[in-house]
Amino acid sequence: MCIKRVLIIDDEETIQTVVQFGIKMAAGWEVLTAGSGAQGIQTAQSEKPDVILLDVMMPEMDGIATFKALQSHAETEQIPVILLTAKAQTAEKRQFNDLGASGVITKPFNSLNLPEQIARILHWKCKYENLAGRR
Amino acid sequence: MRDTSQPKELMQTELRQQQQRVELFSEVTLKIRQSLQLKEILHTTVTEVQRILQADRVLIYHVLPDGTGKTISEAVLPDYPALMDLEFPEEVFPEDYQQLYAQGRVRMIADVHNSTAGLADCLVEFVDQFQIQAKLIVPIVQTLNAHTHGTSSSKNHLWGLLIAHQCKNARHWVDFELELMQQLADQISIALSQAQLLEHMEEVVEARTAELQEVNRNLQQEINVRMQAEAALRQSEEQLRLITNALPVLIAYVDDQQQYRFNNQAYQDWLGQSPSEIDGCHLQQIWGDECYQRMQAYVETALSGRVITYENDIVLKDGSARSVNVTYIPHLDDSKAVKGFFALTNDISDRKAIERMKDEFISVISHELRTPLTSLHSALKILATGQLGTLSNAGQQMLGIADDSTERLVRLVNNVLDLQRIESGKVVMERQACNATNLMIQAAEVMQAMAQQHGVTLMTQAEDLSIWADADYILQTLTNLLSNAIKFSSPGGTVWLTVACHKKPSSAKSKKQTLKSKIQAAYSEVVFRVRDEGQGIPANQLERIFERFQQVDSSDSRKKGGTGLGLAICRKIIEQHNGKIWAESAPGHGSTFAFTLPAFDRVHHH
Repeated sequence: MCIKRVLIIDDEETIQTVVQFGIKMAAGWEVLTAGSGAQGIQTAQSEKPDVILLDVMMPEMDGIATFKALQSHAETEQIPVILLTAKAQTAEKRQFNDLGASGVITKPFNSLNLPEQIARILHWKCKYENLAGRR
Repeated sequence: MRDTSQPKELMQTELRQQQQRVELFSEVTLKIRQSLQLKEILHTTVTEVQRILQADRVLIYHVLPDGTGKTISEAVLPDYPALMDLEFPEEVFPEDYQQLYAQGRVRMIADVHNSTAGLADCLVEFVDQFQIQAKLIVPIVQTLNAHTHGTSSSKNHLWGLLIAHQCKNARHWVDFELELMQQLADQISIALSQAQLLEHMEEVVEARTAELQEVNRNLQQEINVRMQAEAALRQSEEQLRLITNALPVLIAYVDDQQQYRFNNQAYQDWLGQSPSEIDGCHLQQIWGDECYQRMQAYVETALSGRVITYENDIVLKDGSARSVNVTYIPHLDDSKAVKGFFALTNDISDRKAIERMKDEFISVISHELRTPLTSLHSALKILATGQLGTLSNAGQQMLGIADDSTERLVRLVNNVLDLQRIESGKVVMERQACNATNLMIQAAEVMQAMAQQHGVTLMTQAEDLSIWADADYILQTLTNLLSNAIKFSSPGGTVWLTVACHKKPSSAKSKKQTLKSKIQAAYSEVVFRVRDEGQGIPANQLERIFERFQQVDSSDSRKKGGTGLGLAICRKIIEQHNGKIWAESAPGHGSTFAFTLPAFDRVHHH
């Protein structure tokens, strides 16, 4: 068994919901949700998820600021972060990579495909047959 | 003593007389010379001679060409009849007499009635009519100069006679009197010559005057024509100035030294400098160093003889920044040398502002659409898994429609944003050396699923070529073209993806493997081709399909899920790479989409 714990930080509730449903259905992973950067940092510190999906465009504390905050805390420093963005230009992707993000997933995405995308980005080997069996 | 004194007195008298004569003579000569009018000269002569000689009558007789003659000037005492204007018959003065006089004969007759005088009886009778007792005659000879064909000959001609009469009594004429008469006759001769010369000169002057007047007339005419032309020119210049001044654009003429030679009123309105202040100034002087730096390359292009249009940002006199569109049109002389250029500058600030708003709007809309689209897309996909409950067949069908439409909406939003980003120039193609084979394999891998779904075979003929391009965008172009080819293929069909190195004609000419040909190789191209066996494209649509929302058959295309933006994006991407994209097709025989990219060469390393 290869159960992962994913934290999704997005100010859009609908996104939180579809991500949660999609990942659970596709891979059976556990999904934690946060509606803001501050809340996300708190959850990350307390829950220590395996991966954080972080929306770039958020009011108040945006994705970049949240990411930098996560990087600055010892408890969350090691957690891989994948940025969710509507911008998908080469230059922007590079900028995110330079910041130290593990990867970028461009909106719009199909939440059912997220476990596969995450696993590919983070080189997780475990879940392939799991996903393939379901589809 | 008396013997000796007598001759002395005589000598003294003689000397006095001589002196008197000289004085008289010079006095008369002076009087004569004071006038150029012959009539006046003649009158002075007769008057003076009559006074000096105390003669009763002095006259000048003019011989006419027919041999007759008449008195043309006379001084006569009131007691005696005047001869003035009286015509003398020829017999009075026969031809042979005239000849004698012409040779210088003079006559001194002390008494006409004395037989020794040798006057014919008839003549004596004639002179008696006028109570003439004694007479003294000297000829007035004219030297005629005949100016013919450059040679001049002269001959003596008897013009007339100077005659003194004594009517009261007989008179013994003395030498002094004869001499005086002769000298005065000579003076008249000279005066006659001068008059003749004068007359001749007057003729010449008259002819010259006529010529000059003709020239003057011509000049006047020319001046009139020129003045009219000038007036017309002034008028057209005035009109030109009125028109250029009325236009809300900068209009100027700049010479080959980059100095302004014409400016319209707009310069005053925009920059606060009048056309006369700007005239003769260098461009750099007017626009400042920073702005001139942005202009310089274009100015040089115009002065090399090419029309050029560019955009620039300028600052007006009130400090406001403006975006302008500038066009330079070279001015060539007859020998095709560049004399300067015309400069037209338009304010496009409003257009630019609208463009920026449009870009921003599209960008915001696209971003804002993405979040709800993600939710919608994911939610529908989750529903379709059936894990949340099973739908009826009709329900499944509706869900399918919603799912397909969402996917199309996603593509549309992606494409709109892509196109807007590329068009607005926000996206810079990040070019690097890429391997053509890698790109083709990646593209084929991405499209393999779709090809299988459509029952289409995907054939790739790769070649190990290096291109100079942004890999992501070329991959996007390749997948887009492959997707189109698969969409429009019938099941069982084949889609080919090929690549070839394409030398430009210029490099093919060079046979020797010189440095030059190596450099030319750097400019060679790589051509990618995507060929299908579909229905093909009508010839008149081959260009149009690269425009936005211009599908060959829009209903058919929409059925196939196209957005109508794919080829427009491809074209923008290829153009940004300085490549070319086009379609070739024969209806019923499939189509080929091809594009070129610059080949990578080690020249690019340096």
